[in-house]
Amino acid sequence: MRRPFLERLGRERLYWDGGTGSLLQARGLRGGELPERWNLSRPDVMRDVALGYYRAGSDVVNSNTFGANRLHYPDPEALRAIVTAGVEHVAWARRAAGREGDAYISLDIGPTGRLLKPMGDLDFDDAVAIFGEVMRVGEAAGADLILIETMNDTLELKAAVLAAKEYTRLPVCATCVFDEKGKLLTGGTPESLVAMLEGLRVDGLGVNCGLGPAQLLPFVKRMLAASSLPVIVSPNAGLPRVENGKTVYDLSAGQFAGAMADVARAGAHALGGCCGTTPEYIAREIEATRGIPFAPPVRKRKTVVGSFSRVVEIGPRPVIVGERINPTGKKKLQQALRERDLDALVALGLSQEDSGAQVLDVNVGLPGIDEAEMMAAVVPKLQSVSALPLQIDSSSPEALERGLRLYNGKPLINSVSGKRESLDAVLPLAAKYGGVLIALPLDEGGIPATAEGRVAVARKIVDAAAKHGIAREDIVVDGLAMTVSADANSARVTLETLRRVRDELGLHTVLGVSNISFGLPQRESINAFFFTMALESGLSLAIINPGSAAMMAAYRAWLALSGHDPQCAGFIAAYGQQAGSLFAAGAAAPQGAAAPQAGDSLADCVRFGLVERAAQQTRARLDAGQDPMALINGALIPALDEVGKGFEAGTLFLPQLLMSADAAKAAFAVVKEALSGQPQAVRGTLILATVKGDIHDIGKNIVKVLLENYGYRVIDLGKDVAPEAVVEAAVRHSVRLVGLSALMTTTVASMEETIRQLREKCPGVKVLVGGAVLTQAYADQIGADGYAKDAMDAVRYADTVFPE
Amino acid sequence: MALEVDVREAYRYLGLRGRAPDAATERAVDEALRALEGEIDPKHVARRFDLARPEDGVLEIEGLRVKSRALYRHLDGCGGVFLMAATLGIGPDRLIARAQAAGAMARAMALQAAAAAMIEALCDSVNAHLAAEAMARGRYLRPRFSPGYGDFPLSCQPGLFRLLDVQRRIGVTLTDSCMMIPTKSVTAVVGVCEKAATRPDKCAACERRDCAFRDDRKDKP
Repeated sequence: MRRPFLERLGRERLYWDGGTGSLLQARGLRGGELPERWNLSRPDVMRDVALGYYRAGSDVVNSNTFGANRLHYPDPEALRAIVTAGVEHVAWARRAAGREGDAYISLDIGPTGRLLKPMGDLDFDDAVAIFGEVMRVGEAAGADLILIETMNDTLELKAAVLAAKEYTRLPVCATCVFDEKGKLLTGGTPESLVAMLEGLRVDGLGVNCGLGPAQLLPFVKRMLAASSLPVIVSPNAGLPRVENGKTVYDLSAGQFAGAMADVARAGAHALGGCCGTTPEYIAREIEATRGIPFAPPVRKRKTVVGSFSRVVEIGPRPVIVGERINPTGKKKLQQALRERDLDALVALGLSQEDSGAQVLDVNVGLPGIDEAEMMAAVVPKLQSVSALPLQIDSSSPEALERGLRLYNGKPLINSVSGKRESLDAVLPLAAKYGGVLIALPLDEGGIPATAEGRVAVARKIVDAAAKHGIAREDIVVDGLAMTVSADANSARVTLETLRRVRDELGLHTVLGVSNISFGLPQRESINAFFFTMALESGLSLAIINPGSAAMMAAYRAWLALSGHDPQCAGFIAAYGQQAGSLFAAGAAAPQGAAAPQAGDSLADCVRFGLVERAAQQTRARLDAGQDPMALINGALIPALDEVGKGFEAGTLFLPQLLMSADAAKAAFAVVKEALSGQPQAVRGTLILATVKGDIHDIGKNIVKVLLENYGYRVIDLGKDVAPEAVVEAAVRHSVRLVGLSALMTTTVASMEETIRQLREKCPGVKVLVGGAVLTQAYADQIGADGYAKDAMDAVRYADTVFPE
Repeated sequence: MALEVDVREAYRYLGLRGRAPDAATERAVDEALRALEGEIDPKHVARRFDLARPEDGVLEIEGLRVKSRALYRHLDGCGGVFLMAATLGIGPDRLIARAQAAGAMARAMALQAAAAAMIEALCDSVNAHLAAEAMARGRYLRPRFSPGYGDFPLSCQPGLFRLLDVQRRIGVTLTDSCMMIPTKSVTAVVGVCEKAATRPDKCAACERRDCAFRDDRKDKP
């Protein structure tokens, strides 16, 4: 009787199969032909290939289903037949080789060929469904396990792993392609990949394709150093070169086997081959590695969070979590959320990253908005511009799940408490999606008043988590900072909790530091001192505002004083250029930054595109009592107009126009801030969108910035926007003008369709179009009202729709 | 591979049409090129194929049928083609997205133009390599011609991707509408023929005389 695959993986060295492509090409497969078709048209060949590998000694042989999915095979019946036959050919070969008792059939799953949102256009849940339907067929056809391979994007890999879990009960292994720098094409590293895959609870992970064994070895070693799971290594037969129009690889079977012996000695747990390898290569590999002692994987017990490309280990030194993306008590952010102004949230993330945050908290809970839907929009948006790991923060299990599902990497999860309801809702999510879970030591009895009580609840949470298979090291315990103004002992209890969690439970700790000072004046002062005390009590993860100079100074000083900053290099790098005292009022600007100069006029700052000076000049003038509206009408608008006219006349070019626009935007932001609370004049509200099928939106974004500077409110629907979504937004906001952009001829068709639907549903709306391939004639032909050849042209057109 | 970037290409993408840049533009492009250097991951794949002409206006490359008058004319006299694909990787896309998110449109646009010049430089260097290979066999190359030029349809992209195994080899993916991501990627057909080409380079074959990006340097009579 065959032992279950999981009883052998990681307990003995297993051998996978080798390449298929070159074997099929040798039998006549043409370059552009879909190889999976051969499961139906050339069953003899497919059986023979699998048989060759079982006879060579492979313990696991892949089905010929790498690209079998509905994107390549749209007919569901054909797809089902191809996948079923693919598995059955391997089953036939296993019987024919007499390996029924000890060998396995692996359902082979390759990438879709599409990139997922936000960088690409494939929806995450569509990807899950695309993988899932194939996996379900493969399981029914008799596969023993699933191998997801040749992946070069972690988000697509995550979709495939979730599909395996949601659609089948099969064991799942996953291997990725690293380049010569040790990175996936979308930036992943061995460490970030391990973190994510361990969180998702695959059964084995590793590398395949891309390079030969010698080039992969350093990355295999890094993976082994990070991973608590078995590591699978299936390299190519060396590096490729083209000979007489054919791709050949530079290692012979013997050379390959020799290099694989090094891989085995490094500790890899399963070995195979990829492009260019044949049954002979695998036979020689087995021969060369059989005598090398095997060691099972070792649990690493590290607390690690990661994004698609970066990991942060919690423990070696305290980690800063930026707390600012949280609308609680922040009017501007609340407004941004209500208006769905995601750019404002993202800008908040980027500024915290610049200030030194290592992780970003994301909380979008606000009465009146759909928190789960907002979380689903914000998480990918942030990840499209920042590589920092995120902390998914919500009291709503639904919002938590949406964020965790779409997150690319292994996140922090904030949070679970000791309440039954919370444990029941959150632990299954953490178990399914992976992540480091923040445990709040409070329960039905409230917040324990003593450290002892808090440690007891924390222990209860750890035990409950263990029942879901969540490892201790994936839990950090919150010390629960509560305002010292209400209870003189509160800080002491919190600090003692930190120490006892560390010493008695051996776990890492977290604090929302600034909670300590609610209701007190000069909160930063209390916060910074408390922060230092907490660090000294072993705090591992500090949720703070990294924009606070006092907090970051406390952090950097503590690192320097506690031996975490050799030669005080970090401290000096941060403050070496600092003019004056850190603690003097208004002394935050480092030397050398563009300071307002006496001779600068605000108009010149805009004219010459000096972003920082434009903001500083505006602030200085407002501080000196100048009327905000006079600044706008007397300086900003005339300067903008002058630059705009220069652009139109051909004496100034796009870069200058944009620099001025950026400077004006910075100045307007300062004015807006000064006017906050007062109703603001809007010249008109309009919609901008890059049409369905088009992903090039920089032109549209330029138009947006200019329109905003000229006083328009722009509802930006983004790129790849379906006609229906444009219509829906136009109706909902009852706008009078819609601007559409398209780069390529092929997407002008969807522009035309969008116009058609707008005409039908919103007859009064004017449509302005623009984009590289468009001309006035083309615009007329597709029924647009206006054509803008550039961004200034778009402003001029808007001015005719909304006359002053 | 060190790229020899023609900075004038970046200015052209910024709409300067051969005029000299001002100091601020020059600085912005320089900074963009420097920022991109650390983020790009240039990769390419190229292979030679025989070219068949099953009917007038239709080409066939290893089973891939291409219906395009413009390409048919462009490859007149060629017995074979190189198919090529090249990319700078996802780094530039992230950098450009980040600049836009930070509200720095001028920087975003400079990055966009500089990255476009870089992918052009990468293609030129791949091209030079192929030209040398062809020359060794006494053959000459025609200028690159990409899906999306003239009537060479984007719908040929999936077939071209399969022939070169583009996704697996260099990690470029196609969207539903056959656009490439990373966006700083190029696929092209390069004709191989026995006579040196007489046609001028680049924009000469394109009929859009009023295009803001038109390269006037090379198509003067």
